[in-house]
Amino acid sequence: MSIFVAVDTGGTFTDLVSFDADSGEVRCTKSLTTHHDPIEGMLNCVAKTRTQLSAAVIFKHGTTLVINTLLERSGPRIALVTTRGFRDVLDIGRGNRTETFNLFFRRDPPLVPRTLRYEIGERMSADGETLQAPDRDEVETLAAELTRQKVEGIAISFLNAYVDPRHERLVADWLRQLLPKVFITAATELTREWYEYERTSTATANAYAGPKIGRYVSRLGEKLGAEGFTGQLLLMGSNGGVLSAAQAGRAPVELVESGPVGGCIGAGIYGAALGIKNLIAFDMGGTTAKCALVRNGQFDIESTYYAGGYGKGTPIRAPVLDIVEVGAGGGSIAWVDAQNRLSIGPRSAGSLPGPVCYARGGSEPTVTDANLLLGRLNAQRFQGGEMQLDINATTQAFERLALRLGYQGETGLAELAGGILDIATVKMSEAIKRITVQRGQDPRDFALFVYGGGGPLHGVQLARELAIPMVIVPPEPGNFSAIGMLLADIRRDISRTLLRRLDDKAIEAMTRVFDELKNELATSIGADFGDIPIRFERFADLRFVGQFHTVRLPIADSISADDLMQAFRTIYRERFGHASTVAGAEVVSLHCAICASTAKPEVVRLLPRANVKQEPVTERLVFHPESGQKTKTSVYQRSALSPGFHADGPAVIEEYGSTTIVGPCDKFEIGALGEIRITVDVPDGGNIQ
Amino acid sequence: MMVLPDEYAHVSVSPVRLEIIRTMLQSIPDLIEADITRTAYSPLIYEYKDYAVGLVDAKGRSISLATHGLPLFLTNQIGLAVQDGLAIYGEDGIEPGDVIVSNHAATLGQHLNNVVMYTPVFGPSGRLAGFMSVIVHWIDIGGRYPGSSMGNDMTELAQEGLQLRSVKLYKRGEPLQELLRVIEYNSRQPEMLLGDIAAQHAGCVKGRELFSQLIKRHGEETVFAAIGSIWKKSEAAAREAVRAVPDGTYAASSFLDDDGVDLGKTIPVNIKVHKSGGDFTVDYTGIGAQMRGPFNSGFHGGGEVAARIAFKYLFSPHDPANEGSFAPVKLILPEGKFLSARANAPMGRFSTPLPTVIDTIIAAMAPVMPDRVAAGHHAAMGVHGFSGINPKTQRFFSCTDTANGGWGASQQGDGVGPYKTMLHADNKSVPVESIEALYPVRVESIAWRKDSAGPGRHRGGLGVDKSYLVLAPCNAFIGFERYACAPWGLYGGDPGKAGFVELESLSGTRRSLVKGSGIAMAAGERMHAHSASGGGFGAALEREPALVLADVCDGYISVDGARTDYGVVITDTQMIDETATGHLRAQMALQSPTIAQTEIPQKLSMEHSK
Repeated sequence: MSIFVAVDTGGTFTDLVSFDADSGEVRCTKSLTTHHDPIEGMLNCVAKTRTQLSAAVIFKHGTTLVINTLLERSGPRIALVTTRGFRDVLDIGRGNRTETFNLFFRRDPPLVPRTLRYEIGERMSADGETLQAPDRDEVETLAAELTRQKVEGIAISFLNAYVDPRHERLVADWLRQLLPKVFITAATELTREWYEYERTSTATANAYAGPKIGRYVSRLGEKLGAEGFTGQLLLMGSNGGVLSAAQAGRAPVELVESGPVGGCIGAGIYGAALGIKNLIAFDMGGTTAKCALVRNGQFDIESTYYAGGYGKGTPIRAPVLDIVEVGAGGGSIAWVDAQNRLSIGPRSAGSLPGPVCYARGGSEPTVTDANLLLGRLNAQRFQGGEMQLDINATTQAFERLALRLGYQGETGLAELAGGILDIATVKMSEAIKRITVQRGQDPRDFALFVYGGGGPLHGVQLARELAIPMVIVPPEPGNFSAIGMLLADIRRDISRTLLRRLDDKAIEAMTRVFDELKNELATSIGADFGDIPIRFERFADLRFVGQFHTVRLPIADSISADDLMQAFRTIYRERFGHASTVAGAEVVSLHCAICASTAKPEVVRLLPRANVKQEPVTERLVFHPESGQKTKTSVYQRSALSPGFHADGPAVIEEYGSTTIVGPCDKFEIGALGEIRITVDVPDGGNIQ
Repeated sequence: MMVLPDEYAHVSVSPVRLEIIRTMLQSIPDLIEADITRTAYSPLIYEYKDYAVGLVDAKGRSISLATHGLPLFLTNQIGLAVQDGLAIYGEDGIEPGDVIVSNHAATLGQHLNNVVMYTPVFGPSGRLAGFMSVIVHWIDIGGRYPGSSMGNDMTELAQEGLQLRSVKLYKRGEPLQELLRVIEYNSRQPEMLLGDIAAQHAGCVKGRELFSQLIKRHGEETVFAAIGSIWKKSEAAAREAVRAVPDGTYAASSFLDDDGVDLGKTIPVNIKVHKSGGDFTVDYTGIGAQMRGPFNSGFHGGGEVAARIAFKYLFSPHDPANEGSFAPVKLILPEGKFLSARANAPMGRFSTPLPTVIDTIIAAMAPVMPDRVAAGHHAAMGVHGFSGINPKTQRFFSCTDTANGGWGASQQGDGVGPYKTMLHADNKSVPVESIEALYPVRVESIAWRKDSAGPGRHRGGLGVDKSYLVLAPCNAFIGFERYACAPWGLYGGDPGKAGFVELESLSGTRRSLVKGSGIAMAAGERMHAHSASGGGFGAALEREPALVLADVCDGYISVDGARTDYGVVITDTQMIDETATGHLRAQMALQSPTIAQTEIPQKLSMEHSK
């Protein structure tokens, strides 16, 4: 009884990683995601790796089901109940348009049609005073109407409920009694932060995903049980922690970014194990690249997420790791725009048709094609040789593009393909700047931790662009999200708006609210997991009085108003380069997280076992942007390299699911955890941002 | 017409290098924009985003503007300010570390709140390469009314606050405390203003660093050759889009309610567009003269910006703007019109007419660009709000928002919204919970305005009704517009309903207003703001009855509205009565006049208040 399993169901592949603590064996596999029933793909992976579920203690799962339900609009018929006068809040939103000159701009329609949005008489003031209490008779009448309407979910969201949720709770209780089979969510059960549009939208998204996720989670439990699994089923939350199946069923919005966070968690844990405090987790897949910051082992958590993107999407107030995404991936297409300019992405060839070299009908060159043309990918050994790449098709596609842009001959083709990598690199570096420079950080203070199919291929060039001196490639970069999930702990985050001028009275109020938040979290975790060791993290959002945007600070157990003011000014100045010495500060919201460990392997035990061969297997000509030409380069099989191995670049390190490129003036070594550590030759006077 | 920096025309830049430089040039203002949103103090900046960030070259020509800035600043206010600064100080008089501010009305042609701040960027050779600039709406710079521009009846510029013509706020990196004191003691909200100024300054400085790194990295020659090439390509694309439209002169007419002083006396907005080859010339000869009230703007800050915004909506909605993008746009605009007002004209509410001007330019092009235009939108800034002393804090408060209303229907479909005007973009309304937590005001409801949408084959977007209850004595401000000239329909579509405000006394009597400044309100009184809806597109009788029924079921239109506006008869069981609908529509078709392309609604009467 000592197997740990993590399964990440992605858009294309389902990845499984299992670890047997007795034998120390790590098994990884991928199989195609089965969209009609994702559980099938998971069980395929289990079968492929012959994982004994009866011996498994923990099964962790990341799923795209919640986000897909919201984006594909595949949820059931639901209703919304609001304060009288506010049922149109979902349509009216904030009145902003994110496409400045588009006369026809439309955001995604609300998840509840107007005919199913109901108002009831109730009102709370901004001070938490009851102006009108909800009326049981009115709610009974409403329940009868909702029964007639055959809704499967109900979201309840009242104005000012963030101050005091008692009206919302009361109505939720009544409706739960009256409609026991309907999935019911009160907004303040999910978030206690102000802003009625965002909070109502959150409740709606939860009610919309709830019925489906509830069924999915319980069916998954049953299916695993049928395979003999008696351990704990945990779901990967967007906040970077795992949560119980029960909590996932109650609050599916907490799973909205369930997939991508796995890799971030893994990056944080490897960083801690390697003694690297600050790193940028960088994941490059087929259509996008994503990045997140880890500082002192901590991630920033954003409390507003937009399902479907900021532009048109549905706002969700749930803790989500601060991940910045950019439309540059292996499948991103290089094309010539209407102004005859060379552009990369955001259009992607995806997995179908995929890059030209996949020979599945793609005709426009992609970033992956550029890598192949330049010898950076091995046509024979792609995905461990499971897939043959068609270099002739790629070459022809490049010739067509070259003709339009005036590049000539073989050198011209290489220059164009190299240029496409340069542009992709700049685009990805913009995403990293957004997550560093824009948040007051300097990327040079971080190591770049790369994974996903494309991360190791582009990591070094990206690091050089940003003058980052070190790149780390973890073991199994192609399966790294699942590895991260395997390592994730239990975590829940809750927040509450508490608007107070920072003084001693505010500290008292904060202490009181923090205690409430801790109790609430401890009760919730206790109910799910029993009596287990727990620890808390506390944060507060502060701002200068009158200012809007806040800065989040960790809050120690006992702190004075003066200390907090000091700490706030310091962090503010560090981040924005200026901080008023006279203006007072105010607290806006408090955040509390509860963390508890799950049984999991130690990172050091996930070390891949090296084969004996220690010499480069082959050499080939590879284009390196640093030299601007194809150079004879050593090609290593990663599985042949043991900790302690080191060599100078240029080098190519191949493995199943990924390829790492080391530039001519870089060095690399294999670290204690099997990671590739690349010391990047950072030119003086490079782009230091 | 474009004048490129000739000295770099010989430098060739590869397509790859060009794309890299283009990406980075755009990212500089975008990074700074996000930074300012996070550090500003006033909600006008952080939520409403009344600011812009941009890079210009040494001659003030626009290199790049932040993606989500307010369209209002497209006229290259930055370049205008820089040119005035260069004229005053000379190139030698501008030194590294200098930071200059200007809100000079004669240069910028907008209200004094809009303050351009810029700082020079020098290349490795020590030569002036360009300027990094941030424009911010300063929340209060004195004047007659709180917020400086929040009055409808100002008659001189001097009533609108402090004017700063190209003065240094920092000299060689050192702040000039004297000027900061002048600013501090001329504002009603000095703490907030100084906080915003700090954010604005930090944005300039950070952007300056980023731009100078870019120049250092790629070389001055390459960067400016790339910029020249970007301009040329933008210009070529813009002209190509213009050429696709048939040559000719196109016209549309509308009008504004009044000038805020002579109430009820409308102001004509007669616009002609001469489209010839790759040129798009907006002829403003027929618009009203400079007004006595504060709705004037300067040639660049008014006439030019309206033409440019309309041009973007029509021809290149998705491309980032730069110096080349607007090359086809030319103006015929004699001095002394309300969009080319003279130096000391009152301009406090300069933006009020602009959405209507833009709407009218778009309407003029409707006959030849049916798939690119939309019917009239609500077009009112619809500023409304309250100021006074908050009893809880005993401090001055100002709670203001602009209206969200319906946009016009189009060939693509029903009108969108509710959004702010065509001058706005990613500008957010203040949440109700924020209003109630911060100000002695309660919002009682926000709802779609039933039966407001301009009927049509595609109907306009609906207006919004928003009701406030004030909890303490205060002064209200109301700045609606387009009451008399409700948002028009196109291609036979009907107009939308005009927007206005009702004030409800303690006894429950209501009076209607379109504009008003400093209106005393007692605790317990209410304000009901009704925003306008968009006009329809195509004849209402051609609308699919099923869509009319859907709107009835959704509560967007009433059963009566379905009958009178669309000729669709709906039964008590919410079904379409096909036979009755057929008869009614046939009858209505006989009565309806020949379709005019752009209809100008009749002037309506309305009580006005100063």
